[in-house]
Amino acid sequence: MEYTLTLHNDVQEVPLLATFIDTICEENAMDMEMSMNINLAVEEAVVNVMNYAYPEGTVGEVRIDASVTDGLLTLTIADSGTPFDPTVKKDPDINLPAEERSIGGLGILLVRQLMDTVTYQHTDGKNILTLVKKLN
Amino acid sequence: MKTTIKEQNDEIVVYFEGRLDTAASPQTEKEIQPVLDVDKDIVLDCEKLEYISSSGLRIFLSILKEAKPRGHKVSIVCTNQNLLKIFAVTGFTNLFEFRK
Repeated sequence: MEYTLTLHNDVQEVPLLATFIDTICEENAMDMEMSMNINLAVEEAVVNVMNYAYPEGTVGEVRIDASVTDGLLTLTIADSGTPFDPTVKKDPDINLPAEERSIGGLGILLVRQLMDTVTYQHTDGKNILTLVKKLN
Repeated sequence: MKTTIKEQNDEIVVYFEGRLDTAASPQTEKEIQPVLDVDKDIVLDCEKLEYISSSGLRIFLSILKEAKPRGHKVSIVCTNQNLLKIFAVTGFTNLFEFRK
């Protein structure tokens, strides 16, 4: 099964993303935990594009494609913004005390923790982030 | 997303209800600002919270960063196993006191 959604770089559109992911999860009989984890990983990856891919004040798009085959959910998140590879970003140190913990970096940490593989490529002027999750 | 603030005994409790996603976080952050002006320990009640993304986690962390140096504890009430896993993978279980 294949699914596509295109959003603008506006975080107020995040609820549309949640509805899109919920539909995929329901149609593929995923449980609550799987559904929340996928929602969260995809929201983090998409919001990262919405916030940083395009110069402030310009309108841009982010396209999400999903497919489920042979028990694997594959999601690609594509944008035409500034080339940026989130997979090279270091995870924050989660063992630091509160005073030393930085506020940022949790998004990409969640994407890595919740998905099985996360890969980035820059092709034809597009950033393409691919997230794969084994179902069951 | 709905937040309710109640002062109870020597604590101030924030009840979160719904989805604390990136779209909802700015409003939620504004609504809970008064909590930081009260000279009491803070409880973040997540019993009716269905979902939290990094934008919500950042709000929790900034509350802790403001309250702790003033000698106040910040606790999280949560029994939702899916949310507890998110608090675990982000290291929040080491930072906050968890209650059931």
